[in-house]
Amino acid sequence: MDTRDDSFGTPAALVLADGTVFRGTSFGAPPREVGALTKSLAAGTAADSLTHLGEVVFNTAMSGYAEVLTDPSYTGQIVAMTYPHVGNYGIDERWSESGPEAGRTRRVKVAGLVIRRLYHGPVRPGRVRLADYLAENGVPGISGVDTRALTLHLRTHGAQNAAICAAPDSAEMPDVSDATGRAVYAGLAAELSRFPAMEGRGLIGEVGTTTSVEIEPAPDGGTGSGPSIRTGGPHIALYDCGAKANIVRELQALGCRLSVVPSTATAAELRATGADAVMLSNGPGDPAVLAHQVEQTRELLGTLPVLGICLGHQIIAEAAGGRTSKMKFGHHGVNHPVRDEITRRVFVTSQNHGFTVEEESLPPGMRVWFRNANDGSVEGLRDDGRRIRSTQFHPESAPGPTDSRWIFREFLAAIPGFEDVADPDDAATEGGQ
Amino acid sequence: MPKRTDITSILLIGSGPIVIGQACEFDYSGNQAVKALREEGYRVILVNPNPATVMTTPGTADVIYMDPLEVPYIEDIIRRERPDAVLATMGGQTALNLAMDLEAAGVFARHGVEVIGASIDSIRLAEDRGEFKKLVSRLGLESPRSALVTSLSEALSVKAEFGLPLIIRPSYTLGGKGGSIAYTEDEAVTAIEHALAESPVHTALIEESLIGWQEFELEVMRDAADNAVVVCSIENIDPMGVHTGDSITVAPVQTLSDREYQRMRTAAIEILRGVGVDCGGSNVQFAYNPADGRMIVIEMNPRVSRSSALASKATGFPIARASARLAVGYTLDEVINDITGKTVSSFEPALDYAAVKVPRFELEKFPEGYASLGTQMKSVGESLALGRTFGEALNKAIRAAEYGFDGLEALSPDTDGQTLWEMVQSLHPRRIFAVYTLLRRAASEGTDAVARTAERIAAESGYDPWFLYEFGELAVLENQLAGGDPAGELLLEAKQAGFTDGRIARLTGLAPKEIAASLDAAGIRPSYHFVDTCAGEFEADTPYFYSSWGEADEGTPVGTDGVLIVGSGPNRIGQGLEFDTCCTLSSMAYRNLGRKTVMVNSNPETVSTDFNVSDRLYIEPLTAEDVIHVMRKEQVSDVVVQLGGQTPLNMAEALEAAGARIVGTSVDSIQDAEDREKFSALIRRLGLRQPENRMAGTADDVRAAAEEVGYPVLLRPSFVLGGRSMTIAYTVAELNRFLSEAPVLSPERPILVDRFLEDAFEYDVDAVADGTNVYVGGIMQHIEAAGVHSGDSACVFPPFKSDRAVETEMVAATAAIAREIGVSGFLNIQYAVQDGLLYVLEVNPRASRTVPFLSKASGVDLVAAAVGIWTGRDLRAQGLVAPDGDGIGVGACVTGWAVKEAMFSFDRFTGHDPLLGPEMRSTGEAIGIGVDFGEAFAKATMATGARLPHEGRVFVAVNDHDKETILPVVRDLIELGFSVAATRGTAAVLFEHGILAEVVLKVHEGHPNVIDHIRSGRIDMLINTPMGRFTRSDDGYLRVEALRHRIPYTTTTSAARAAVEAIRHLKRGETVARPLP
Repeated sequence: MDTRDDSFGTPAALVLADGTVFRGTSFGAPPREVGALTKSLAAGTAADSLTHLGEVVFNTAMSGYAEVLTDPSYTGQIVAMTYPHVGNYGIDERWSESGPEAGRTRRVKVAGLVIRRLYHGPVRPGRVRLADYLAENGVPGISGVDTRALTLHLRTHGAQNAAICAAPDSAEMPDVSDATGRAVYAGLAAELSRFPAMEGRGLIGEVGTTTSVEIEPAPDGGTGSGPSIRTGGPHIALYDCGAKANIVRELQALGCRLSVVPSTATAAELRATGADAVMLSNGPGDPAVLAHQVEQTRELLGTLPVLGICLGHQIIAEAAGGRTSKMKFGHHGVNHPVRDEITRRVFVTSQNHGFTVEEESLPPGMRVWFRNANDGSVEGLRDDGRRIRSTQFHPESAPGPTDSRWIFREFLAAIPGFEDVADPDDAATEGGQ
Repeated sequence: MPKRTDITSILLIGSGPIVIGQACEFDYSGNQAVKALREEGYRVILVNPNPATVMTTPGTADVIYMDPLEVPYIEDIIRRERPDAVLATMGGQTALNLAMDLEAAGVFARHGVEVIGASIDSIRLAEDRGEFKKLVSRLGLESPRSALVTSLSEALSVKAEFGLPLIIRPSYTLGGKGGSIAYTEDEAVTAIEHALAESPVHTALIEESLIGWQEFELEVMRDAADNAVVVCSIENIDPMGVHTGDSITVAPVQTLSDREYQRMRTAAIEILRGVGVDCGGSNVQFAYNPADGRMIVIEMNPRVSRSSALASKATGFPIARASARLAVGYTLDEVINDITGKTVSSFEPALDYAAVKVPRFELEKFPEGYASLGTQMKSVGESLALGRTFGEALNKAIRAAEYGFDGLEALSPDTDGQTLWEMVQSLHPRRIFAVYTLLRRAASEGTDAVARTAERIAAESGYDPWFLYEFGELAVLENQLAGGDPAGELLLEAKQAGFTDGRIARLTGLAPKEIAASLDAAGIRPSYHFVDTCAGEFEADTPYFYSSWGEADEGTPVGTDGVLIVGSGPNRIGQGLEFDTCCTLSSMAYRNLGRKTVMVNSNPETVSTDFNVSDRLYIEPLTAEDVIHVMRKEQVSDVVVQLGGQTPLNMAEALEAAGARIVGTSVDSIQDAEDREKFSALIRRLGLRQPENRMAGTADDVRAAAEEVGYPVLLRPSFVLGGRSMTIAYTVAELNRFLSEAPVLSPERPILVDRFLEDAFEYDVDAVADGTNVYVGGIMQHIEAAGVHSGDSACVFPPFKSDRAVETEMVAATAAIAREIGVSGFLNIQYAVQDGLLYVLEVNPRASRTVPFLSKASGVDLVAAAVGIWTGRDLRAQGLVAPDGDGIGVGACVTGWAVKEAMFSFDRFTGHDPLLGPEMRSTGEAIGIGVDFGEAFAKATMATGARLPHEGRVFVAVNDHDKETILPVVRDLIELGFSVAATRGTAAVLFEHGILAEVVLKVHEGHPNVIDHIRSGRIDMLINTPMGRFTRSDDGYLRVEALRHRIPYTTTTSAARAAVEAIRHLKRGETVARPLP
């Protein structure tokens, strides 16, 4: 059974704001025609679009495209997978990394998917093919792209806005080597460079729960990360800026009761849940523009244990008085080495961030807990006095290695009354401290 | 943690001679380890009796020993060198087993030597299947249901419990040796008996069958701080049932979801932690059943391996180099990633390409052994190719394997559907081609037919649908190309799928040149990409490349000053490690002289494909098309073709036509030397002598030629290496049998009919020449009688028994031939001496198999000498030829005596007669060095694993011809204290000469016969020369039985004579290790 629509396999292109064009063929939702897309951008009607266009970033994971597609942190981004074969094992809805998003319908979070080669053969029972999945979710994909050239381009010139588009009348995409071809793309590129850049773009309003949700502990959490160590773990308020499902699963598995609270909530509302600690989730966009969330977090710091992952980590840094800045092309993959600056242990981690905490901006008392073993960037913070812990990387992984799962126990051990959660014997079996 | 300062010297144990399952990957890893440890300031002592290796090249380690890998010799080395530590994880299973033997013998304790890399305890835990299984279960993981047995009866009760089929493996062997799958009752009994006999501890493992499950392998590194990374994940295309060494594999894993993969990854790391490997690399193998998610741990090896070499080349992560650093105390985050030069090694390489490995089998040489693949590895080599897509990499890797396929191609249209489906269901070595043929045939009926066929193949073979889809896409593409004149897009698609110009030409009916022209016209060009370990995330420092098509090209040309070295491709019998060593040494020599080198090779096991051997490294198939593209990319014109065996020579003409300047001897001269008629004329011109010979292009001509030159005749196809399809015929009947089996016979590819010089002595000479001066590296005398392929014969340098005058004649003849041909660089000549007359048997205008051996034994690096010539320093300037005189220099042995012994892997091919003959069958070689011939031969023999007896009973059964010549040998053996048993005929002859021998029955004569005696351990050595020396005789079962019971046997009287000398040495009881000067 083939659900490919008319646009499947038709010529398409990925156009970058700097005018660079990568040609390929379409799969998933039909891309918009280049002229029409340019016009709607010029008219401002595509200004808040979360599909077809966005910041293009590359991800170096060789498996886990399903988790990437559904990770709320990728909102506003087109993802290019550097591994050439994508779709090999289909998609299982249960792999979705979209958290408990009450009130939202957007299941695929990326704005578009760029790959070298699509698998469109049979998949196991219960799974769907990648192209069909993207088509159902209205997200375009482009295959046959020289993703290596794209990656090297982004490495050199930095992540930037881009769009996936189709040729006029589904004809061949114009060739960039001639002037008429270039002219076709030039207008779109110009509009893309006017489109809001990721730096300064607030996107958490597009993701996360819109109303508070209560979640009970679940011993297995569906994570496959081993048996729960206990029930009756701490009650956590999850400040949901676009939380990944595996953060929820992991905390559930550790016996936590969760109050998932929208990112519009105030410190008082978070406190009113009666939680023992607040977990700041991951999420999309620039942390520097999240004045409300930074302000609420500042109020909470020192009063309740605060834990943060990715965007949550950045918000904590800003709330503590630190600064964040945009990275050239960020870290998106599952192979980044991170050193625990206390134990000197090194972990291979799952990462997805385009912004970083500037170390020199950190106030006294806030120490660097983790550091990237390659570029030395800040990968985690800790303030034992105020019971603050954060990681830039994703200890919940999904996709990626589970080696740093122990950090959740380490987080929970910062909560008064739950210090013994981080039982060293248990942690050791997970490769912990 | 910083490196350890409490140790200053380290003994590194190599893997010895090459056998199936243990090849040049350990030269690669050992070499990396030696280099890394010396860079860290340690004194490195190396022991490896394999003269073909790069690692034993003087200067590599601080001290090099080439003594047998046996406890007494290693203890003597330890006594002399006083190393603080021993590293045994770089030398394969051989080194691990030796380390355990040394531990058991108390050597480490006695001399205060620490075992680094993997502790004795962790080696034991990983190697002892029972203990390992317990560990797996403790970790909450699953092993196959299995039982260890020590007897047949025990095994049969297990069989009753598990049911058939069963996997049966002996404990403590390398490469799954002796392991097999039993589908029937009878097969089970045979397999169990075989496994018990193979196991040094007489223990076998019987397992439930996981045939048809998916198979995966993970390469893991772990350091002393418990940091662990998975360097590479590998998926076998062939499901469980085929040894991973015989499977086509792809990296990274393709068909597992992230959850499945992470579960496997975590399990692999936990296994390393559980085994206690805390300073090095290991591999862990898994079987996976996608239907129910059952994941079974198959095994782990606490050492570097063939797959770690593959993983290193596939990812750019040098596992052995990093392992060596971890072994001396560093942690992964302290080891810099050599490829990027700025990131650290505690990461997991991200690939943006697919890496496909294809095994190479020797179907023609061991047809009976390849009826079906199984749990015992049978391939002799492998090729690796990288491509931006799996299909591209697969097509490249298959053609890189150089076994007659231009990629994944359909089999002959004559092959009927039923045969193909039978192959799909079997473990046939060509199964993948049968699969593709079915898909290709379906493609002409449309894509739906392809999908239906793929579904059925998946059900019948266990191939994952993902692979079949990709094969199907290739079949559809081929179908689109068929018969048309492809336009730009389709042509690009074909090139991106890894099709050669030749293949597209065959499909379209156009000429390859027309395809090349269309590509040029459409601007479709190969693009080269860095292997950078990080999918482009960081800039790469090290220029290690692979090709794709029509993408952004990376890297700048090395320029016209560069020199391109064509490697030797996958190991095969007749073309192996020796040639890779020559290529590697030439790159090093050129670089020492300031030239930039570009290495092209497809063999992932090798040192030459280590990215820091050359200025540029290309993992590419060794075809003219692929090499020409690299030439153009790098803008080099100098190309070296003399060092990689026959593979580079075969493409020399095409390279020259494409603008290459062939370094050294000209293409014309090479062709003249290989053209039999021209060569015969040359020999006559020089007043030299060849055995009477004819060329014949038809069967009748062959018969007529044989009559003319007189029987026995040596028959060989032209242009082959390793004596493929060579045979000796004593009678017309034997000649006819050869003709009925001969592969190709046509006037274009004639057969050479030579008079066979029975009972001649044969010699090998390697020389380098600069056009005027000639340096003869040495004369090596074969120990086996004439007719045994030079690669299979033991040889001794200097000659053991020959007269000076003949040697002088050989030197003069070598110089004359070199000058006449116009050799610039290498020349190898085989001579025979019969009745005092010198014959020229064969001339090869290239580096030969014996060059590394001779270089070490003579102390002159012949490769460096050749490179010296090619860069303008003649032999006089190099001091190898005296400034005044006849322009001839001759090397001498610097090690006293040096013996090269051939190493065979016959035990891989159950039932194969190990009789030696003109067709080469050995897979490797060992060296023995001594102050006398006996010591050198004893060591060489021991290094091949043969156990010459000190006492006991020798069984003698010789043909009529040998009955006189064997007498002195038997007398010597009696004098040495042996008793003699013989067949009735031989015993009668011995009796006539006053020697009493116990008469032993032949098999057909009743019981107890010779086989019964062998089985009951009453025979310690076998001297058996067949009736009609090279006929396929009926006494093969004797040798097969001796092989099975590991009893030394000789099939020629000359080898028996050498064995006597060696036994004489052994009886003196001296164990002296001797460092290479």
